[in-house]
Amino acid sequence: MTTPVLTRPPETTVPNPPKHHAPARPPRLRAQRALLTITIALIVIVQVYPLLWLFLTSFRTAADFTSGSPFALPSDYTLDNYSRAFATGNLWLNILNSFIVTAGASLLIVVAGMMAAYALQVLGFRFSGAVRSLFLLGIVVPVQIALVPLFIDYSQIGLLDTHLSMIIPLAAFSLPMAVYLFSSFYEYIPRELYEAASLDGAGPYRIFAQITFPLSTNTIITVVLVNSIFIWNDFIFANTFVLSDGLKTIPLGLQNYIGAMGNTDWTATFAAVCVTVTPLLLVFLVLNKAMIQGLESGATKG
Amino acid sequence: MAELAQTGLGAGRVGQRRRRSPAPSMLPRRSGLSVAIFLVPPLLLYGVAVLLPIVQSLFLSLFSWDGITDMTFVGLDNYAKMFARDDVFWTAFGNALGYLAICLVLQLGGALAVAALLTALPRARELVKTLYLLPAIISTVAIAFLFQRIYSLDPVGPLNQLLAWVGLDGAQTAWLSNVDTVLAAVSVPEGWRFTGLYMLIVYAALIAVPRELEEAARLDGASWWQTFWRIRFPYIRPVWITTTVMATTFALRGFDIPYLLTNGGPGQSSELLTTYMYKTAFVHTDYGYASAISVFIVVECLVAVGLIYLLLRRRDDS
Repeated sequence: MTTPVLTRPPETTVPNPPKHHAPARPPRLRAQRALLTITIALIVIVQVYPLLWLFLTSFRTAADFTSGSPFALPSDYTLDNYSRAFATGNLWLNILNSFIVTAGASLLIVVAGMMAAYALQVLGFRFSGAVRSLFLLGIVVPVQIALVPLFIDYSQIGLLDTHLSMIIPLAAFSLPMAVYLFSSFYEYIPRELYEAASLDGAGPYRIFAQITFPLSTNTIITVVLVNSIFIWNDFIFANTFVLSDGLKTIPLGLQNYIGAMGNTDWTATFAAVCVTVTPLLLVFLVLNKAMIQGLESGATKG
Repeated sequence: MAELAQTGLGAGRVGQRRRRSPAPSMLPRRSGLSVAIFLVPPLLLYGVAVLLPIVQSLFLSLFSWDGITDMTFVGLDNYAKMFARDDVFWTAFGNALGYLAICLVLQLGGALAVAALLTALPRARELVKTLYLLPAIISTVAIAFLFQRIYSLDPVGPLNQLLAWVGLDGAQTAWLSNVDTVLAAVSVPEGWRFTGLYMLIVYAALIAVPRELEEAARLDGASWWQTFWRIRFPYIRPVWITTTVMATTFALRGFDIPYLLTNGGPGQSSELLTTYMYKTAFVHTDYGYASAISVFIVVECLVAVGLIYLLLRRRDDS
């Protein structure tokens, strides 16, 4: 997609060229900089345009949507789509369900992840290497393997069609990465801290509650942020295990907008999409530094 | 599982006394019981929802079962059917590889190119990173809606409109119902969605390359291109391997977008192994055969990871 551009900026890679060099070759350098900036701007526009289009379309009138050029700005801005979106579906209920599932799974991931990492990294035991690789396996295993068995198990114990039926597999499949992140952080907690606490008579439980857990705040934020994106947007588990309307999360709720009456009310659907994207988008824009850092560290360490 | 943890603990204490424990404790004093208390609950959660289903799938794949009547043991017949008698399986496998290829080009190629450009951008890097990552937070259902409209021919959607503007009217098509374009059309949204994530990771790695290395190479007369491929890229190889593993396994388990956009159609032209397995299980309720396919998907992922390490490591040695 963008590979040809790679060859363009031959010398601009030095972001801080020595100060005295700057006036020596301004025209060429400036041209290269401009070219680079334009290239990146174009790439970003292509990347973000679909979302912008989605947003603009949610304010279009239906007539404008079917007849107008897709690239033109809306001729008329309307909020009608939003009132129709709320009238057609159970948007608030869907958002509430997504909140319950995301909060429940995040809590489970954080608690279980910290406990496992504490056992593996801080307490240590003979077969910790084997247990660690057992967890690492989960990063590679695709979720599809769990669908049929869990569906059968759930239907036998009556867990089908509950919030828990989504929370359990979502938490379990995110657990390996959380265990990994927590243990690589616990590696850096200085041993002296634990030794001092031990001298004061603290056992493993008090040390966990008073030292390890309070120090984990940043990693907790990272784990929650990164996993929330995937859990909030989960489609496959919800689609497989949930049937009743009252439990539907956002991705399932959105599906109700398609073909409800033969043909789809696209502008209302896009308005519904915009509403459901908003909570995560706001969190993302407010916390994007922490989130970006989390995603970067999650992978560069993993 | 508790049993496993228990035996591990007893042995761990002995190991510590000998001071040759493979994972020494960071605490001077801790009991075996405390390890169990911390380890068993997470292992239970993981075991119930990840490990047990793997075993169950292996077991179910040896049976023929529709969920209602009695299970019949069929041995390896499900696998025999899969490899020898089922054309749809092979079509789906081929499509999955095509899907993988398109995702990898967009995600890894795109990520590397944009990350490399971004390291040279004098300002607004944070803004570019944020905007570039935006698609990753949108749900797949929303993305499927969006691309259904983008690919639309009647009314003319953005893609076909763009083609008309640049004079390629002939290339206009209903991307999702054309047998020749549908696989690419369902792969591109998946590639687009996560390219920002991989770009961030590669960018973070490129930024960490020591500047002295590059400057030394530049002083020796290396071009930007040479510096990139000889100095910076080899330096980020470990991260590149991780990124490749992530992108590959994510693409091999890709399901949502093809399922929502085309449900594998028209015909089987965008059927992936994952969508085929899903339909076998939950439309045809053939749990045995579906389990065999899902076992294959896991094996496929493990083989892919093995191959990536083998290929990228080997080149490292030479």
